Amino acid sequence: MILPLLKRNFCSCIKVFLILFAVICLYTTVIIYMYNPELADMLNDYQKALPEMMSAVGMTGIASNLLEWIQIYLYGFIMNVFPMVFAIILGNKLLMRDIDRGSMAGILTSPNSRFSILLTQVVSAILLMFLMLAAVTGVGIASCEMLFPGELDISHYLLLNVGSFLLQLVVLSIVFLCASFCSESKYFYTFGAGIPILFFLIQMISNMGEKLQNLKYLTIYTLFPAQDIIQGTGNAAAGLISMAVLSLLMFSGSMIWFCKRDLSL
Amino acid sequence: MKPIEVQGLTKDYGEGKGIFDLNFSVSKGEIFGFLGPNGAGKTTTIRHLMGFIRPDSGTARIVGLDCFEKHAVIQTKLGYLPGEIALMEEMTGTAYLNFMADLKKLQNKKRIQELSDYFELNPKGSIRKMSKGTKQKIAIICAFMQDPDILLLDEPTSGLDPLMQNRFIDLILEAKKNGTTILLSSHIFEEVERTCDRTAIIKNGKLMTVEDMNSLAQKKKKIYTVTFRDIEAARRFAAEDRLPLMEIKDNKVSLSVSGAPGAILEKIASAAPVDLEIKSQSLEELFLHFYDKEEA
Repeated sequence: MILPLLKRNFCSCIKVFLILFAVICLYTTVIIYMYNPELADMLNDYQKALPEMMSAVGMTGIASNLLEWIQIYLYGFIMNVFPMVFAIILGNKLLMRDIDRGSMAGILTSPNSRFSILLTQVVSAILLMFLMLAAVTGVGIASCEMLFPGELDISHYLLLNVGSFLLQLVVLSIVFLCASFCSESKYFYTFGAGIPILFFLIQMISNMGEKLQNLKYLTIYTLFPAQDIIQGTGNAAAGLISMAVLSLLMFSGSMIWFCKRDLSL
Repeated sequence: MKPIEVQGLTKDYGEGKGIFDLNFSVSKGEIFGFLGPNGAGKTTTIRHLMGFIRPDSGTARIVGLDCFEKHAVIQTKLGYLPGEIALMEEMTGTAYLNFMADLKKLQNKKRIQELSDYFELNPKGSIRKMSKGTKQKIAIICAFMQDPDILLLDEPTSGLDPLMQNRFIDLILEAKKNGTTILLSSHIFEEVERTCDRTAIIKNGKLMTVEDMNSLAQKKKKIYTVTFRDIEAARRFAAEDRLPLMEIKDNKVSLSVSGAPGAILEKIASAAPVDLEIKSQSLEELFLHFYDKEEA
């Protein structure tokens, strides 16, 4: 770990962190604020009227309590899209940009190995993603307690966010793996941003219909066991562990490749 | 063991691009020039020495260590000035210099201030808004801030005005006095001429020759263009014996001169010209000499 580099990383990401945090908080508080049984009925009617539309964005099922409400209306779309955007921006700011414009040369003129340089970048990214989701979780709990005291199943809400964090680690690891392979930003955006977005689109399509359901085996988003966590059914642990292992593998791949590759800086 | 040793270094990018079987070494306290036109492979060689890229074959070693495998250890002794300056544009100059000093684990930041004063650099303000010369100064300070034992300088004076170029040359001559080993790449002959002890000439990725600076200066020709009052006088002068005549154009006579200028200047003086212009032979013309040698 290289502390001056960690410090630079935080300075260069603080602005985008705050902006995305504000946007996610806005959605989180609004969705929680909207929780009431009557509205739930109305949204259930929407689901009947526009089943494909609502299910594409993951908004399916009947919310019988606050946690289910949050899971259906936040963790199907909002809590996937914005952290994914954050992950892509992190991959660019912490790795790709320095390779593409050549400022990585400056970092490499210091007596630090490539391994410790990339480790610092990966740890910075994970830490920033963790802080983002932790802060959002905090805001979520606080708004629930203020608006509907005692109604939120906090331990399962925390577990849901652990799952969301692990899912974003997989996204981050894809982004970093691509950035490690690419020399130019345009390829990074094609693959590093393109692959997570593609996975997300496949997830949306597979949500829509029975015939398309098999597509779920082609996307990482299936690994996120949101409903299992909420309902305490099925094997949530398997999904969580496989996401952790998958991201670990891809981060390692990114490290190994970065240490070996040519950098024409 | 010499500070910089390159043996059989080859990196083939295809289509004749790359570097091929380079061999040279730089002794301690020596300034070694690396002269060649754009695209000759100077930067590729320096990237190998920096451990940015791996050779297809051959070795690049600094203080006896493999440049790719041991780059982190080597960096404690190395200062590097890239040919393409790429700084972190979002930072201010001051923040960047401090960042680099921290990254290099520099204890004493006094040298940064000294160098900033020396180059009249004001590092305040965003790097994005700085001119090319100012960015170059920041990069120079990054290379020199830890008083390294070895310096790799890739076209170091590009973007600097003549005054700063002179200061920079004084700076590296000063470093040489303190025993610093320097590899300086350039496509400007004068820059190499003023600083280097020996120079390698590289073209199309191949090492043409490694020359002592003095012998290179002798090989290098100068073009004397002598202007006379009228065509008549020019013809009369051109008719003289043993003149290295190149061209007569109107009242101007061009001569191609190498070696000591004494004798030829006397001849010119006695012909009473109205003007004399001396131009150095261009690098391309000098290369032609080595190129011909290779063909033959």
